[in-house]
Amino acid sequence: MTKSKFILHYLMLNKYSYLFAVVCIFVVNYLQVEIPRYIQLAVDLLNKATLESQAGLLENVQWVIALSVVMVVIRILSRMYALNPGRITEATLKNDVFHRLNRLPATFHQRYASGKLISIINNDLTGIRLFYGIGFLQFFNILFALSLTPIWMWRISPQLTLYSVVPIIVASVIFWLGFRKLRALQAQRLLALQNLSEQLMNYLSGIDLIKNQQMGDWATSEVAKINRQLFECTMKIAKIQTFFMPILDYANHFMKVLILGLGGYYLLQAQLSIGEITAFLSYSVLLALPLMHLGRIATVYQMGMISIDSVQKILNNEVPSTDMLRMDDAEKSALKGSTLWVKNLSYRYPHAEKEHSEVTLKNLSFSIQAGEKVGVLGHIGAGKSTLVNCLNHHLSIETGQVYWGDQDITQMSRHDWRSYVRTITQEPFLFSDTVAENVTFGAKQPGQNTADLDVAQVLNLSQLSEDVQRFSAGDQTLVGEKGIMLSGGQKQRLSIARALLTPCDLIIMDNVLSAVDYDTERSILKGVFKRMQGQSLLVVSHRVSALEYMDNILVLDQGEIIARGTHSQLLKSSSYYRQTWELQQHELHEHNEMEPAT
Amino acid sequence: MIKSLDVQYLKHFFQYAARYKKTAIIGLLMMPISVLANLLFPWLVIQVIDEHLTPGKYDGLMLLIAFMLAVLVVNYIADAVYTYCLRITGQKAIFDIRMALFKRILKLPRSYYDKTPTGVTLSRLTGDLEVIGDSFVLGVLSLVKDSINTLAVLIFMFFINWQLALLVLLVFPPVLMLTQYVRNRLRKMYVITRSSLAKSTGFLQECLLGVKTVQLYGAEAEVEAKYHRYTEDFLRAQLKTNKYDASLFSVITGITSITIGLIIWYGSGKVLAGVVSLGVLIAFINTLEKVFVPLRDFTSQIASIQRSFAAFEHIEELFVEDLEEQGLTLLPAESLLDKLANFETLEFKNVRFQYNGTGPYVLDDVSFILNKGEQLALVGTTGSGKSTIIRIMNKTYLNYQGSILLNGIELSSIPKDSMLHLFSLMQQDVFLFEKNIHFNISLGAKEIAEDAVIDAAEYVYAHDFILGLADQYQFELKNNGSNLSAGQAQLISFARSVAQGGQVMMLDEATSSVDSITENLIQKAIGRLFEEKTVIAIAHRLSTIRHSDQILVLNQGKIVERGSHQDLLAMSGVYASLLTDNANIEDAEGLLLSEA
Repeated sequence: MTKSKFILHYLMLNKYSYLFAVVCIFVVNYLQVEIPRYIQLAVDLLNKATLESQAGLLENVQWVIALSVVMVVIRILSRMYALNPGRITEATLKNDVFHRLNRLPATFHQRYASGKLISIINNDLTGIRLFYGIGFLQFFNILFALSLTPIWMWRISPQLTLYSVVPIIVASVIFWLGFRKLRALQAQRLLALQNLSEQLMNYLSGIDLIKNQQMGDWATSEVAKINRQLFECTMKIAKIQTFFMPILDYANHFMKVLILGLGGYYLLQAQLSIGEITAFLSYSVLLALPLMHLGRIATVYQMGMISIDSVQKILNNEVPSTDMLRMDDAEKSALKGSTLWVKNLSYRYPHAEKEHSEVTLKNLSFSIQAGEKVGVLGHIGAGKSTLVNCLNHHLSIETGQVYWGDQDITQMSRHDWRSYVRTITQEPFLFSDTVAENVTFGAKQPGQNTADLDVAQVLNLSQLSEDVQRFSAGDQTLVGEKGIMLSGGQKQRLSIARALLTPCDLIIMDNVLSAVDYDTERSILKGVFKRMQGQSLLVVSHRVSALEYMDNILVLDQGEIIARGTHSQLLKSSSYYRQTWELQQHELHEHNEMEPAT
Repeated sequence: MIKSLDVQYLKHFFQYAARYKKTAIIGLLMMPISVLANLLFPWLVIQVIDEHLTPGKYDGLMLLIAFMLAVLVVNYIADAVYTYCLRITGQKAIFDIRMALFKRILKLPRSYYDKTPTGVTLSRLTGDLEVIGDSFVLGVLSLVKDSINTLAVLIFMFFINWQLALLVLLVFPPVLMLTQYVRNRLRKMYVITRSSLAKSTGFLQECLLGVKTVQLYGAEAEVEAKYHRYTEDFLRAQLKTNKYDASLFSVITGITSITIGLIIWYGSGKVLAGVVSLGVLIAFINTLEKVFVPLRDFTSQIASIQRSFAAFEHIEELFVEDLEEQGLTLLPAESLLDKLANFETLEFKNVRFQYNGTGPYVLDDVSFILNKGEQLALVGTTGSGKSTIIRIMNKTYLNYQGSILLNGIELSSIPKDSMLHLFSLMQQDVFLFEKNIHFNISLGAKEIAEDAVIDAAEYVYAHDFILGLADQYQFELKNNGSNLSAGQAQLISFARSVAQGGQVMMLDEATSSVDSITENLIQKAIGRLFEEKTVIAIAHRLSTIRHSDQILVLNQGKIVERGSHQDLLAMSGVYASLLTDNANIEDAEGLLLSEA
């Protein structure tokens, strides 16, 4: 979407509200110039003693009060209907951005740190809200005020209008120059403040070192330097704010003096009435105020543009078209229980950073039939996790490498694909919610009662029920941010329970059992086997013990399959496998022997 | 509205501001001038209308006009100088407070940092002081000016015509009540928006961090439904806020015109009767803005000042936080100069330690002796008390029980600054400054010459890789050394410890693995330190442990085994089992296995 289309799209979202607001704004501004006219008529009648003029005076005063009340009501409406769309747009965009972020693939999320994204949603959307709210309101306010007021002034006295506008124009030029300088300085100040924060953060995280090495004086003088910069910048801003910015306000007073002097001159020549001078004095305020607001609206506009740019950085990332596809139920059930075919799968990280540069997958081929249990053994860095992330389509792989039945998984949406394949990641991510909520995560269909789901059963299968029973609030216990209240092993078992809850065709366990001891590992695997009914399983591990019961084991080394077979076959055929096994058997043995001693 | 308790917090601010009394006084002296000019203006308007325009007398009009212009100029200058001087005072006080707080922070004990997240301390020095600068200094300045001016204008109005002034005052109570009512409503809405925003941001953050999980579990719609609820709550509160805001704003702007109508109405008979002059009436009409607009801002100014009190409270907390060696009786530094010139021995005698008065003992009855030239390794699982021993040795934590003798002097009676030169700490979490490598090794100490830096780097085998960098020793490090590998950062930290010339090396060995080439260098560097220096090490690598004279095996704060590597293996107790456990975890690296 181009920027102008974007702006228009969200403007149209509230078009009726805006339309009504514009009408209200116009009426408010019209009343604003109309009321002084009645004041003028009233003031001119003050000196007249006739009964008729006294009645006229009263009528005019009543008009002033009545119109003022009307103006209050309409102004409330104008502000509500002009400002509400800003809030509504903000809320809509929040949801839109979140919706998009949820669907963008890993390649996007690797590029943008979550902190940056949150700052866009929190801060930049504020800029957009102001643009669509106060920006809109002030734009029309200024537009109407600046076009109506001079006309009404002109009607009273063209000469006086021309003369009195001069100081206002001169002052607004000065005001604008000051304003531009001010904005530059404010940006500079923000930078100084950021520098200060960064430096302080740096010193605070190294506080032990600074204290131990007695570097306090040095650090203090470094902080003083930046603190001074900040102070000087602040005072420059203060100078402009106190000496430049009020000039427009004083020009307004200056204009009043001019009106009194010149107007007085005209009055004495009987060209003007005292009431007209009073009206003119009111108009001078109506002219200066919008000019002052002009600066604000310029900032709002500029901020809005910058904010729209950064939001578009997210929204202009299209979700891959295949991910928008949705299978219907017939297609879905047709593919149920298919075989996973991996054909010459190769992978290289696109933006190879140093830690990944060597880890690529080279020509892997294998298959997992329905109900088959496949293991992958490999050391750290062998490419195990990369393989998992290719199979579940977390990483964007090329077409023609991984098939589900005869369907290329890159040709179906990730969302659909993941209804067949469930991954238990190495580092489980838990939400700061209850145990039960975390187990049912992703399983809730709209309108479904969570009580229908057999949370207790999966907790039992993943060997977590005992732990949960010990918790004070059972499965309603809050797990804390990222599951901080749980141990590493508990987190992993919780994530296993989560994966077991809803049926799927293939469960992938990515080195999940590393944080539990051998006994628990065996029990969990048993639990998983029990739950499986025609489901397939892929277990990735660097521990042979986790793989012994697999139907087929692939040995992965430096991105290549160097051996495959069952446990007993591999013990004979692969020296790598055998050595790893023996080493780990040895430990296991020692470990078990040592236990009574400790 | 301002609580007396809150005023206490301002004490420190005014102490610092008092240093700039002169500037403040100049500013304050401008105040009466500004008020006077502010009143003179409407008075002159009355004169112009009543003396010249109504009677039709032109003579002297221009003189009055010129006088009005002069009043304007004086008003402008007085106003600007008032604001500027007091802002300087405020900002200078903030500058000084920031420096004072930073100096204090450098002297706070480790226990403060343990209980306070870094972000909190940071926000005291940045965010809170910003709030004081924005909300308090500016808020007080305009509040004082506005209220004095409004009061003066009201008195002036009474002086000119008390009936008309009373009429204006009549409008006050309903306006004040309305603003008060709306502000109360707004405050309630504000609480709701704050909490719903916090919830939605928290949830958003979680979902973005766990976006992989969300996608892998196909839970997009599920989390969106939850997020939509938060957004909806926030929006609803915001729309209500908007309604109140709009009403308050519109009523205040409208009240001026309504009052003008009332004034003319009331004045209609009086002008004819000669009780009220036309000039007075017009002056009243034109001065009304000056009364009502401050009235609108009044409550928001007070609210903003009150907001700043939270910041004052935060800062006060830092000002009253106990400093590290506050209230301790220490030996005079001069008397220790000779005795602590060189490291001789360190002895722990039945040392017990708990982090806070009531917690469990992290160290329980620990005794050992480290002599010059010896190497001591501490082994044990996480939480066994290894790091605590080192932290007590370098006085990061005080308040131990039992006795610790450094060169025969009780550690608790030695001022921290008198003993730190004896120790060099190599921490597990390497900390690097965002400066060049040279600075990071020398730490800016002038007495460490160029050669010494290079020598130190060579000593730990870091010299070669440094030469391979773009600017060599001038290579600028970024973001705690993120432009180096983890192992290289460790080597720099080693070189630093050597360059700083501490006689006892405290080594907190990193558990994380680094690339094999650097790993090799680190091993060599550690090996060299073990041969040539007095070392106390928290050790994970078998090679490090093996070469120690003495190994202490800790379990839950107690020393459960001690002796050399061979002795301990022979015992086949905790130490032996620890080794195999280690092997379990680190088998993939082959670190311990290869030598076991």
